[in-house]
Amino acid sequence: MFKKIIWPLILFVSIALTIVFISGFLTSINVSKTEEKESLEKPIINSTNTSEEGDERPKESSEILILGDSIGFGLGDEENLGIEKRYLDLISKKDGNKKGITNISVPGYESKDLVSLMEGGENNTSISSASLIIISIGGNDINRLEMEDNIRLTVAFEEALKKYQTNLKLIIKGIRGINPDAQLAFIGLYDPYSKEEAEKTRLLLEWNYETRLIVNSDVKCAYIPTYELFEYHLNDYLSPDEFHPSGLGYQVIAEELNRVLN
Amino acid sequence: MISLIQNEIIKILLKKKMFLIIILLLIFVSLLSYGQQYTYNKNIQKFEAESGGMEYDWKGLTTQRLNELEKRNMDELIPGEVRSSIDREIQQLNYFIENDINPITPTASKFNVGFAEQGITLLIPLLIVILAADLVSNEFSKKTIKILLTRAVPRWKILLSKYIALIMMTTILVFIIAILSTSVSYLFFQQWGFNEPIVTGFSLIKGKLDSSSTILISRFHYTLLIYSLVWFVSIVIASITLMISVVIDNSPSAIGIVMASLIGGQFLQFFLSDWELVKYFFVTNLDLTRYLTGSYQPIEGMSLNFSIVVLGIWAIVSLIISFVVFNRKDVLV
Repeated sequence: MFKKIIWPLILFVSIALTIVFISGFLTSINVSKTEEKESLEKPIINSTNTSEEGDERPKESSEILILGDSIGFGLGDEENLGIEKRYLDLISKKDGNKKGITNISVPGYESKDLVSLMEGGENNTSISSASLIIISIGGNDINRLEMEDNIRLTVAFEEALKKYQTNLKLIIKGIRGINPDAQLAFIGLYDPYSKEEAEKTRLLLEWNYETRLIVNSDVKCAYIPTYELFEYHLNDYLSPDEFHPSGLGYQVIAEELNRVLN
Repeated sequence: MISLIQNEIIKILLKKKMFLIIILLLIFVSLLSYGQQYTYNKNIQKFEAESGGMEYDWKGLTTQRLNELEKRNMDELIPGEVRSSIDREIQQLNYFIENDINPITPTASKFNVGFAEQGITLLIPLLIVILAADLVSNEFSKKTIKILLTRAVPRWKILLSKYIALIMMTTILVFIIAILSTSVSYLFFQQWGFNEPIVTGFSLIKGKLDSSSTILISRFHYTLLIYSLVWFVSIVIASITLMISVVIDNSPSAIGIVMASLIGGQFLQFFLSDWELVKYFFVTNLDLTRYLTGSYQPIEGMSLNFSIVVLGIWAIVSLIISFVVFNRKDVLV
């Protein structure tokens, strides 16, 4: 019985399967191989970008620091100014004294990335020397949730919101640990989607509300609402990618920032 | 040599361990697929309750999403790599609509892949350990090693035949896992879903998900890739277990040591992910399947190739140690 049936069967099956598995194994190595080459090129671009920003301004007494995601970075702005330079223009018109700007925003950052950036501690000096710290985070956390159906969206949203809340608390706590006196300003989220998707808008509002609760628990942390600003002006305030603000959009945010802080 | 291997296979089969493993698998798989079916139904109910008794209309939602994507694809400002990933999603959604498949329904093949992906770090290695741990140490415990070594064959041949038999059984076990998890979950879900196209080949570049290298393959093909990785991991675990079984001539402690290092390794990865050395430990590298779906980097600097190389080195070193120790071992029974 064993010699006649089972043994040849086992021998044959195991050899056949081994061949199948080895070929599958090689394919899966190939599938992930393309990434290796590309990853060599892109980081270089990134690193030059950050070093440029670092050298841009020498340290001055009162600094504006902006950290967070692509909106902090100024993606979509035709004049490449971003919130911080537009805001600086507004205040220097008034009192004339010039402040230094440091922008350590990274497009694509989620709240957890910002937490790990803070934990890295490389930016502690710029945080401690800043008098105004503008934070823009969360857009990517929520945008990642683009899902095909409502059930998963709701579940994923709850989960993401919870993580985001802890991360945001960590970020604010981290900043306060280094710089207890700086004025903080948190840029709220606007809704880049048109009104067609009521569910998404509802979630976004809930997100903003929860953010606001955390932001307001810090005495010197201002919440800059943008939802209302963008609500009926999506065509003007959004850049052609229909997601990031345009120059005009950034200008509006900067003006709102100026209004809230004064 | 062949008859030696044959002999080893008989020994493994006589111990009825394959039987035990299959029963374990059956229990796990049926529990898990029942659970998945249950949560799916509950989700649907919850949704229907929330939307006021409206029936869950996946087709409408999917079509809506499809239209949105097509509109976005028209936009000329979208960069090429984003466009190609949108194209792929459109193809995928079209498939769902054409074949009248709800994208979130659990299918047997989806469950199968999920089971392998979850099991690859702990469950499947543990099953392999059950199979492999007492391969050599049992001969010492039961003192049968004496009879084995009195034959006129060199020691390395005996160990090699044990190893080959182990590899064969491991291969078959991986196949059985695939078959069982598919067929049992089919009983629950009533859908195979093997033709369903899925997207793979994402890569993480500097913290950003890069979708330019994605490809669309059928779920059957994908399952094959996943199980090949599972197979590789199983072979590595089998080799490491064999080494421990040779070095420690006591079966319960051999099983204990492998299990402890598997579970302890998970802790290590969890608590010490900053520590460079951790990424050279084999347990940290077991989760190969997650590299396929992209966005995964447990510790900085780890990739599929890195993990494969590390695992391969562990397996080869274990084998060398096994053979050296087995050749020199004093048999005092």
